[in-house]
Amino acid sequence: MLADFDPSRRQFLKTSMVAGVGVYVANLGSPAFAALFEEGILAPTDAAWDAEAARMRFRLDGVSKVTGAKVFARDIRARDMPHWPDRQSHAFILRTTRCDRTYEGFDLARLEAEDLLPDRVVTAQDLERDGIVVPEFYGPDLLLATGQTPSYLGYPVAILIYHDFARYSIAKNRLKFKQDVIRYGQETGYPQRDPYGTFRYIRVGNDDAYQPDVYSALQETVLTPDYRKRHPIWPEALRSGSDAETAMYHAGRIEEQLASPPEGWVVFEREYYSQYTDHFAMEADNSNCWYDRSSGAMHVVCGTQSPAELASWMPELLAKSRFASKRFFLHPAYTVGYGSKDASVFPYYGLVAALYADGHPVRLANDRYEQFQATMKRHPFSMRHRIAVERDSGKFQIFKLVLDANGGGRANYSNSVAFVGATAAQGIYYFPSSDLTAQANYSRMPEAGSYRGYGTLQTMSATEMMIDELAAELGIDPIELRLRNLLKAGMKNTQGAIPAGASRAGEVLHRARRHPLWTEREQRKQAYEAAHPGKRYGVGFGCVQKDFGHGAEGVFSEVELTPEGRIRLRNIGAEMGTGYATGQAAVCAAWLGRAADEIGTAETEWSDMQMESSGNPYIMAQDEQDRLARNPRWTPLLMQASSASNSAYYFSFPTIEAARIIFRHGLWPAALEYWSRGIGGGQAAPYVVREQEARWVDGKLTASGMEPLSLEFLARRAHEMGGVTAAMAHAFNRWAWATAEYEIDGQRENLPLDGLALKYGAGADSQKRRSMTSPRGYHLLDRANVHYPPTQRNNAGVTYYSACGTLVALAVDTGSGEVEVLDHHTILECGNPIVPELVSGQLQGGVAMGIGHALFEDMPLYEDGPGNGTWNINRYRIPRAKDVAVWRQTSEILPPLSDSDPHKGMAEVVMIPVIPAIANGVAHAIGHRFTRLPITPDKILEVL
Amino acid sequence: MSIATRPLALTINGQQHGPIEVPVELMMLDYLHEYANLTGTRFGCGQGMCRACTVIVDQDDGSSHEMRTCITGAHYFNGRRIRTVEGHAQRDEDGEVLALAPIQQSFLEHYSFQCSYCAPGFVNAATVLIERLQREPVARDQLEDTISDALNDHICRCTGYVRYLAAVRDTILSTPGLVKEA
Ligand code: FES
Ligand code: FES
Repeated sequence: MLADFDPSRRQFLKTSMVAGVGVYVANLGSPAFAALFEEGILAPTDAAWDAEAARMRFRLDGVSKVTGAKVFARDIRARDMPHWPDRQSHAFILRTTRCDRTYEGFDLARLEAEDLLPDRVVTAQDLERDGIVVPEFYGPDLLLATGQTPSYLGYPVAILIYHDFARYSIAKNRLKFKQDVIRYGQETGYPQRDPYGTFRYIRVGNDDAYQPDVYSALQETVLTPDYRKRHPIWPEALRSGSDAETAMYHAGRIEEQLASPPEGWVVFEREYYSQYTDHFAMEADNSNCWYDRSSGAMHVVCGTQSPAELASWMPELLAKSRFASKRFFLHPAYTVGYGSKDASVFPYYGLVAALYADGHPVRLANDRYEQFQATMKRHPFSMRHRIAVERDSGKFQIFKLVLDANGGGRANYSNSVAFVGATAAQGIYYFPSSDLTAQANYSRMPEAGSYRGYGTLQTMSATEMMIDELAAELGIDPIELRLRNLLKAGMKNTQGAIPAGASRAGEVLHRARRHPLWTEREQRKQAYEAAHPGKRYGVGFGCVQKDFGHGAEGVFSEVELTPEGRIRLRNIGAEMGTGYATGQAAVCAAWLGRAADEIGTAETEWSDMQMESSGNPYIMAQDEQDRLARNPRWTPLLMQASSASNSAYYFSFPTIEAARIIFRHGLWPAALEYWSRGIGGGQAAPYVVREQEARWVDGKLTASGMEPLSLEFLARRAHEMGGVTAAMAHAFNRWAWATAEYEIDGQRENLPLDGLALKYGAGADSQKRRSMTSPRGYHLLDRANVHYPPTQRNNAGVTYYSACGTLVALAVDTGSGEVEVLDHHTILECGNPIVPELVSGQLQGGVAMGIGHALFEDMPLYEDGPGNGTWNINRYRIPRAKDVAVWRQTSEILPPLSDSDPHKGMAEVVMIPVIPAIANGVAHAIGHRFTRLPITPDKILEVL
Repeated sequence: MSIATRPLALTINGQQHGPIEVPVELMMLDYLHEYANLTGTRFGCGQGMCRACTVIVDQDDGSSHEMRTCITGAHYFNGRRIRTVEGHAQRDEDGEVLALAPIQQSFLEHYSFQCSYCAPGFVNAATVLIERLQREPVARDQLEDTISDALNDHICRCTGYVRYLAAVRDTILSTPGLVKEA
């Protein structure tokens, strides 16, 4: 079977050449992937889609998931892969647990005695000899060489490979927790490094908040200083100096006002700490890779939020090495991560292990101790918040924030977590002036990276805790104080950018203010405490708005309509458990009347579009962008990872545009042709039939009283008439969409796309048919007058927000210090939910995770922390059903302003307001305001 | 020194497995994964804390209970009958799902799970609960507490549990004989 199998021809799509290595990707949902699993993962859309109600009855991956089918990479063994050898090897990693001494090798004597020595050991020497270099993004070498001091706890030193499971698992057990395996040498002290980065956003608004700012990051600049002795060097303050110098002048003025505030102002200052936490994604990191020595092909099965990164960096790594790998196959599986599988270094260890596994497929799968030790964490933040407020009016005047984000020992997204945290810190409020400094620091802690909430959880929780205290100090109702200071539509954020669309945080506040948990809080407190001696009742509230998206989104999507009326969809997003595949299928219904029938996720194969990318979209200069954009196939970013709540809005965007183009240039002309048949212009003639009046009802298209037509009929006619039947699109967003003009059917259209290819039905004229020359038979259109959002918009930080508020009722046990969450109610604004059940599921799960952050989850940073390899959930408490008021909790989603509201990202914002709500509720219960999270029983007992 | 093994034979989802020589120190979860290629039973913590690895053990007296396979040796199951998540739905000869078990259908329709890594544990725990209630029905006013008690040890990081527990409640209420009126 193996001999005659040629995956590159039979089942896989060749996506591109990266550094001379052919890249092939077989995705879930593609025929190739289905062949790899015992069952196709997605259920037929016909069963799931309720045409009458235009809704999904269940998630498309649901049947597979609830029957325990192989959906995770973790479930895959060599024998599940049709073209792999059956024999499965297994590997694990040896890691150092000290950073104050040099590493001097390891001792496997313990294994030798039991004949358990590995079949192959991989060390830094192998990598050095074979030219294997980790992608620059990830910082230091994959494996530490002897004689060096580990730069973080848990630094890998060797990969141990076994060609059978039994010896692997016993050997791994024998070495677990053993302190005498790694040998250390001379004392060196802990490593020191410069911070990863520092960012400062200064803004001075106009007296009229709606007029142009005096100074802002968006108008002028963000400060990113150099360092001397690990401290930032700030520019000189000059009133009419360079942008940076002027910023420092304004910073000085702000500081003066805070130090000696004008009459009638009060300045509040608090320090907050947000702790170090683990994602605890239930599927721990794992990969299964096979390096086929005979053909030089590398095969990678893994769960990832960033398939495009792996499909480009892994072949690059191989190409630069001594291994003559000419072909690279990636199988991205359904997974779960909350950020932990975005830009993770883990898959590269699996890749490297395979190179040394003597031609066997090798599985590298973390156990939970290893996962705690080695996988990215949430950044601990130390924050100093200062707010100046006018006492009588309660109006905020100045916001100053200094935050330190601990990024740990391997570079990851620490810089962006820090500045995203800073730029979100204002929450839902308008501040006339602000000065926000964020610094991401190196430490020997196991690395921190992307994690649901991404810095904003830390800063906005602190802001909401401060607002509550401030309201108490000022004697103003906390929700009233919030309303007085609301960032309204058209006002600017702390970067000087105007947020997209209407601001609906005010509606969230009004609803919270009317909720019985809030209106009856004092009566309920009295009643509860009378009925429960020894317990203290409290109600707290928090409200935030969180950005969604990365500030650079590149997305491909393809929608194809068959002559039978079936819809095929491909998109770049990965299924992380959020119901992404189901949601993508469903968004097609807006234009095509039903959900897609075939869905390809994590697709990285878009060569039909011939698009290319160069430069860094976040930091490129305007003239560089202008120059590059002259190439009609250039885009600032090809594909973004699945993270930052970006799928609902950004990843759906080109899907919806593609479906709209098929409607407008395929289905609508077919419908008009039918409705106009017959004498005198047919049934359409007596009425005025316009495209704007088109509606899908029960899966059929009607407009202005026309006879409803089925998708099957219209699809057949669109094909016969040679209309547009498929569209492949690329979109780019930098806090606004790139636009370009395209000629479709002789009409010039300005579209929010920077790349577009079309297919026409069989009835198309010969000229159109001749134009469909791409590998998949597309006509690649030439764009004109492309407009990319100016690079200066990078300084906007954020423009897309979803608002969310949570009320929490809780009881503090004065004997044990335990906090019991009794009830909570969450109010979310997210535009138009695609699948409401998926939105509410995200909300409920987010709130639970927020409860864990507020009350339970915490770890020491260094030698006693997870880096020592002994952490598991026996000492890291994950919220369980009884911790989250599972039967009592409620939520509501604000109705969209209209059915044309966007599908906003919401999976992160929902976990945040519950955190300050709990802190504020504890303050209501016992009168003490905690500023360091989590609020654990011992901290409570200490103050009681 | 070679690895000590012993023969293991058991019944999984109604099918006889073994006898087959497996290491004496092998955990049941590893047996299911590496020897039986049944990977629906998941590894979460390896410590007995998360219950992702739960299977159902069927007793001769007709009762059933949950067991954690990450902390129980494979040989403990010698001669026993167990059910895993793969065994609940009706399937055709090729293994294609013909009909889900009621609790699976309910989880599906309630959108109970997201990533689903924990779902096998919840399917098994809810099944054991339902089978217990068939023997010992519960008063309606104790139903929610009974469900929380039965499922509380199962960790789900994605969902916040609401849709799991609501689905279990619906299934119990719509199955005759599980709830007695107070
Ligand atoms: S894996 Fe067995 S209880 Fe967690
Ligand atoms: S659905 Fe993901 S852990 Fe439960």
